Amino acid sequence: MTTSAISTAALTRSFGAHQALADLTLDVPQGEVFGLLGHNGAGKTTTVNLLTTLLEPTAGDAMINGHSVKTDAAGVRQSIGYLPENVQFYDNLTLLENLRFFARLSGLRRPDARIRDVLTFLDFTGHDNQRVGTFSKGMRQRVGIAQAVLHAPAVLFLDEPTSGLDPEGVRTLRKTIVRLNHEFGMTIFMNTHLLSEVTKTCTSIGILNHGRLVHHDSMSNTLAAFPADESLEDIYFQLDSAAA
Amino acid sequence: MNSTWIVAEKELLDLRRDRLFAILIGFLAVATLISVAVASADFRNQLDAYNLYVANLANSGSTVTAAAPQLFPLKLLRGGIEYLEILGALFAIVLGYGTIAKEKHRGTLHLFLSRPVGRFAFAGGKMLGLSIVWLGVVAALTAVSLIAVVTIGHAPIQGIDVARLLIAGGFAWLYLVFWTALAVGLTALSTRLSTGLIVALVIWLAFVLIIPQIGDTMDPDNQVPGGLFATLQIQKADELAVLAQFSAFDGIRNGLEVSSVTKHFERLTFAFLGIKDQYNQQPLSLVWAAMLPYAITLTVATLAAVVFAALATTRRTLQRKQS
Amino acid sequence: MNTILTSARHEVLCTLRARVAMLLLVLFLGMVSLSSLIGWLTNTTVTRVYEKILADGLTTAPNPFAAVSALYYSRNSVIYVVLIGALMAIILGVQATLRDRQSGTSDLVLSRPVDTIHRLIGQFLGLGAVIAAVLAASTVISWASISIIMGAPLGFDTSVRLIAFATLSWSLMMIFALLGMLTGLYSRKETTALLVPFVIWSAIAFVLPQIGTAARPVALLNPVPALVAPGSASFDLIGAVTGPFTITEQFKRAASIVLRDDSVTGSPWLSILLLVAVLIAMTWIVVVTPRHTLRSGLNE
Repeated sequence: MTTSAISTAALTRSFGAHQALADLTLDVPQGEVFGLLGHNGAGKTTTVNLLTTLLEPTAGDAMINGHSVKTDAAGVRQSIGYLPENVQFYDNLTLLENLRFFARLSGLRRPDARIRDVLTFLDFTGHDNQRVGTFSKGMRQRVGIAQAVLHAPAVLFLDEPTSGLDPEGVRTLRKTIVRLNHEFGMTIFMNTHLLSEVTKTCTSIGILNHGRLVHHDSMSNTLAAFPADESLEDIYFQLDSAAA
Repeated sequence: MNSTWIVAEKELLDLRRDRLFAILIGFLAVATLISVAVASADFRNQLDAYNLYVANLANSGSTVTAAAPQLFPLKLLRGGIEYLEILGALFAIVLGYGTIAKEKHRGTLHLFLSRPVGRFAFAGGKMLGLSIVWLGVVAALTAVSLIAVVTIGHAPIQGIDVARLLIAGGFAWLYLVFWTALAVGLTALSTRLSTGLIVALVIWLAFVLIIPQIGDTMDPDNQVPGGLFATLQIQKADELAVLAQFSAFDGIRNGLEVSSVTKHFERLTFAFLGIKDQYNQQPLSLVWAAMLPYAITLTVATLAAVVFAALATTRRTLQRKQS
Repeated sequence: MNTILTSARHEVLCTLRARVAMLLLVLFLGMVSLSSLIGWLTNTTVTRVYEKILADGLTTAPNPFAAVSALYYSRNSVIYVVLIGALMAIILGVQATLRDRQSGTSDLVLSRPVDTIHRLIGQFLGLGAVIAAVLAASTVISWASISIIMGAPLGFDTSVRLIAFATLSWSLMMIFALLGMLTGLYSRKETTALLVPFVIWSAIAFVLPQIGTAARPVALLNPVPALVAPGSASFDLIGAVTGPFTITEQFKRAASIVLRDDSVTGSPWLSILLLVAVLIAMTWIVVVTPRHTLRSGLNE
């Protein structure tokens, strides 16, 4: 039996009169790569912000690796890694100085050996003492992944991870996500609006429309439920327009 | 309508709705009012002390008469002028910085630069707009000062006083435009916006606060409490004779003071408003004759700052990548 | 504890890497060094003036400058702390809290097991360490230059007084650093974050003392605190009300007594207590900042 890495119960968040996320109930088992799809403003980033404790829910709750986002936010933070969209760092600090800071905040006392391992895993060596301000978008994204997995979190949250990357960068990132999942059993929760990414990396998907979850199933079930000649793009638009 | 005026007009519309700008000018006006109120209260205290002294003399049967303290209305504005020197310059820097920073932040700069506009349209328009703004602010502060002197200070104002106040207002306008132009140029030159602001603030700190203070500290007579020459009971003529032999040192001291544009503004306004006793109640022609060099240097400094702003605010500097 | 130390160390590193911060630190140290040079130059000139007067037979009085305390040369540093020190602290404080909000690194930090109070205390301590290091350097410069002027190393009592002055300066600068941190946390624009504490500083340094003592703004650039004109009851009353809020004047008063300036008499303890009380109050206001404020976006 697999236990849930992420489990939400009627998770809701409002900003004034606007309900950004409504009654989200969702289970993501351990070891999954879950893709959350939705158009701009559908509530994807709000969902990630709630699950990473950056926002507090208006109603409902979510459990991450057995910790409640409402009552045990510190436990949640200990269990997760997070890569925000368009990640930025302290530009005046070197790669090593940036990573040491985030590793120590995550509770690693002597992080240098771990940093070396992670950078080798990401095939990102030889830049240790370079200032992050001089890095390209693709390089920054790798620093982003490195800081997110330094403390070997059980769940990794990625918000639009391929945003702004060139095709080569997208391919490298995709491989990294798959390896993190296969080699370390990391559960991955990914926000994206790129359907091609979901097909290539995710084992299950959810679709948000105006703050409501309109579809949630495994990738294989989703594809099986629709005619064989339909692409995921067709399926997405069918589900999305049906919900609207 | 040319593009310079279009930029200036937009600047005026923009600032009309800027809350921060309104707060700064309000703060300056309140500080001026407070300084007039404090100066007039201080004068009344002196008057009370004098009346008490005269009454005591009369009670003791003395026939000696002492000169009553005299109220010169424009002297009540000394605090207000000093606020303009310090805070006016600070706010002028912020205004100059803000006018470039907002265009860079919003990304509207690229929209502007994609239009067929002249080389100096952006900088010229900005400076024209801000100069008009400062003209309005100086006019308002002059009116506030005049009303404060008459109502709070209970001092009668004559036609010549208004003329003196207007001349001082003209110099205040030049002084404020100088600091705004400097900030515009520095902000345009810096790749990181806050660096431009902070460099301008460091210049402000050095030239408005520190250099005048150093000049004061270096005065030999200020080295001993009560004054060196008074302590040694030296006559004024002998003092001057001795000091004449140390003219190099005094030259450095005065040179330091004169290197600050703030001192030029201060000497001009203090002379025209009669705050400095030497020029109090003197005819305007005499004050003009004595102050012409300072009037020229302040004008030249302002023009130089405006030219610097225009030359620094180019397409290349404005579009530099922010780090 | 780990978060506090990590944040403090990070703050030191970020501050030292920022060119603008270095510019300010160099300016502050430069001015302290320059003040000693000015002191030496003036000292030499005044001594020569006295010798000339003596040689001309204009006086037989002893050199009044010879009786001046060694710490007299440090008195200009009092005003440099109020002017450069306070403004430097404001800029460092604003940058400390605005940095994460501007670059979006606040989301990375807050998705860690980090307590907000620990994070802010860490940043406060990091800034405190930088400011303490600058003041330590300026104290060493002052000590050395005054020793050179006096022709002998400064004694124990004088050295302790210089250290006490540095401690007082640290308290004042940290109050303004905290003010900067506060506006860096709550402002929606960088300009506002820098400007609001500058306006508050100018109100504290110039407007409030003027209301309480009738001292004009430029007169307040004097290192000696402004005094109420004797016999003016109205200023006595207002001065008593505004006095506790004029922390720059309280600092000048305590510093003048510590540096043995004869023109200021009395005990410095009330002023010191006021400074410490404001420092504690400001620290409390900053560290109780809600978590969501640390990641609130900017309009610029």
